[in-house]
Amino acid sequence: MSNYPNYRESSSRKLKAIYTIWYREIIIYFRNTLKLFTSIFLPLLILIFLGTGLKTILPTNILHYDFSKFFFPGILGLSVATMALSSTMSIVWDREFGFLREILVAPISRTDIAIGKILGATTVALFQGFLLLLVFPYIEINFNITVFLATLGTIFLLAYGMSAIGIYFASRLKRTESFSFFLQLVLLPMVFLSGAFFPLNTAPSWMATLASFNPLAYGIDALRWTSLYYSLPRAQLNNITLHSLPACLIILVVFNVIITFLSVKVFQKIK
Amino acid sequence: MNDQSSNILEVIQVENLRKEYGFLIAVDGVSFSVKKGELFGFLGPNGAGKTTTINILSTLTPPTSGVAYINGYNIVTQPDQVRRSIGLVFQETTLDNHLTAEENLFLHAMLYDVPFRVFMQRRREVLKLCELWNRRKGLVNTFSGGMKRRLEIARALIHLPQVLFLDEPTVGLDPQTRNKIWDYIFTARKKNNMTIFLTTQYINEAENCDRVAIIDHGKIVALDTPDNLKNMIGGDIITLHTTDNKKAIREFHFKFPQEKIKHIGNKIQIETARGDEFIPVLVKTITPRITSLVLHRPTLEDVFLELTGRKIREENNGKIKEEEAPFDLASFFSLFAPLPEEKEEEKKGEEIKTEKEGEGEGEGEETKENKEENEDNRKESEKEGGTAEIDEEEEEAVKIKVD
Repeated sequence: MSNYPNYRESSSRKLKAIYTIWYREIIIYFRNTLKLFTSIFLPLLILIFLGTGLKTILPTNILHYDFSKFFFPGILGLSVATMALSSTMSIVWDREFGFLREILVAPISRTDIAIGKILGATTVALFQGFLLLLVFPYIEINFNITVFLATLGTIFLLAYGMSAIGIYFASRLKRTESFSFFLQLVLLPMVFLSGAFFPLNTAPSWMATLASFNPLAYGIDALRWTSLYYSLPRAQLNNITLHSLPACLIILVVFNVIITFLSVKVFQKIK
Repeated sequence: MNDQSSNILEVIQVENLRKEYGFLIAVDGVSFSVKKGELFGFLGPNGAGKTTTINILSTLTPPTSGVAYINGYNIVTQPDQVRRSIGLVFQETTLDNHLTAEENLFLHAMLYDVPFRVFMQRRREVLKLCELWNRRKGLVNTFSGGMKRRLEIARALIHLPQVLFLDEPTVGLDPQTRNKIWDYIFTARKKNNMTIFLTTQYINEAENCDRVAIIDHGKIVALDTPDNLKNMIGGDIITLHTTDNKKAIREFHFKFPQEKIKHIGNKIQIETARGDEFIPVLVKTITPRITSLVLHRPTLEDVFLELTGRKIREENNGKIKEEEAPFDLASFFSLFAPLPEEKEEEKKGEEIKTEKEGEGEGEGEETKENKEENEDNRKESEKEGGTAEIDEEEEEAVKIKVD
């Protein structure tokens, strides 16, 4: 008795549902020009002022390399992760303004909604990473198409993982105020244990142990490998990263698969 | 064959639906069915279980027990088919404020898998119908409450639902907008021969329905056409106010033991077959002076009152509660200062007033007692003006002034 008798739970129908949810996230991101602007402006601010400032107390003759080269992939990873996490906050907004109900009563599966949301946040974070990559040539990093694509791929892996974490927590939150607590409780420890500000292999071993449970640390390590591959010698790259590139990538992929399952499961229980 | 035809005839079938939240029973064994093309209303006060019923029927909340079919689909086992058959307008808005009116409709069409060409045609129809065609490119953020409501109804119609659920669609809107939205709902219904399931707490909205179920405490207490429901009361309703209601009721019972009479608030309500002819008789019979008298045809409000003993939207249970004044320092210190005599006279006047208002029932006496106590306190403090405590208080006050 349905109005469109050719209806069935086909894969194209699933893709359409995911696309719809994704499409909305993208519209909202690009419509919010202030958010768009700050998302680019803030990391550049950190890079230029904090990076330049720190460079003066860590001159090249101690470090044997330019500090901004070390610093840039870290800031890239941080801003991508923050963007991915904060984009998933749209779930909490939607709940507060009622739009979540419109999505939940639609004849599409909860899994598709969750995946659409994750991909939406991933895309937004990826776009931000892309914009930051355009700064590359200005900090004397040897830049070519391989580096660019490899870094972009790594950004995708990291952004996806962080978005899925975001969905996992945001689906449990009832109010928008709780989200700032969540950001402080989840994001800040991850940031400090990520190796973005200082190399983790010179840090005490308990910190390195804790960092091995931190997906952001693997993401930033992977970003260092891919973006600085032609700029620093291998030995020095080994010195500033905790894990090798293949190890980082494998762990990121495995983590993404697990967290996708978890966040979909949590999202299915949403009311 | 019988089953099939009944499926087509009865778009909503509900049998013994129950929903419990722990100890709270939100919906308590509700059964009804709605025919195709019918405008069916759920009338009841806040918290009667109207929204819970809609949430269950729209597959948002699973029922604790009972079965329900919408458009022939089971709401528990075939939720996706049920969702495609229904359009929903919730009590609170569920629009995306960041998007334009058109984009909201487009997303809805995508979610319900409406083909693009069908959508383009429906979009025009639906936006013209609710008079938002000119504002279709406007952000929903900038819309008024009434416009948002209309857009929401328009959105619910995009996928040509068999049943439209409206959960208190006009709550919080001004009467003019309310009428407009109803015009719009009626036109939409005529065009699509749609079944509408409506919940409301407004009597006049319920009177427009083909059939009304009166719901209270999760149970359907009556289900019929508005006219039949009103006939249950049997005739006219006379509401009167006398100087001594209790005496009037006693006299009335003595003379006309067969007629129904009720004491509601400070008014008396009488149900009788021929109200216009009964009034002269009534006026002669009752000895207390009648201060006001109203005769009216029964409304659904009266039906609800008859069935549940309460009004649909009672404010403060009909009682007037006096609010306690917040503590303020000035009045506290005034306790220790002798009051001028004029003011005391004023107070006495107030006492008499409150006695009149409360008709000697409880509250008036209480306030009187309080005031007597206050007065006693004041007198005591006047007498014991020299005790240590009060000296301290005064000293503090002086200190504050000095500081």
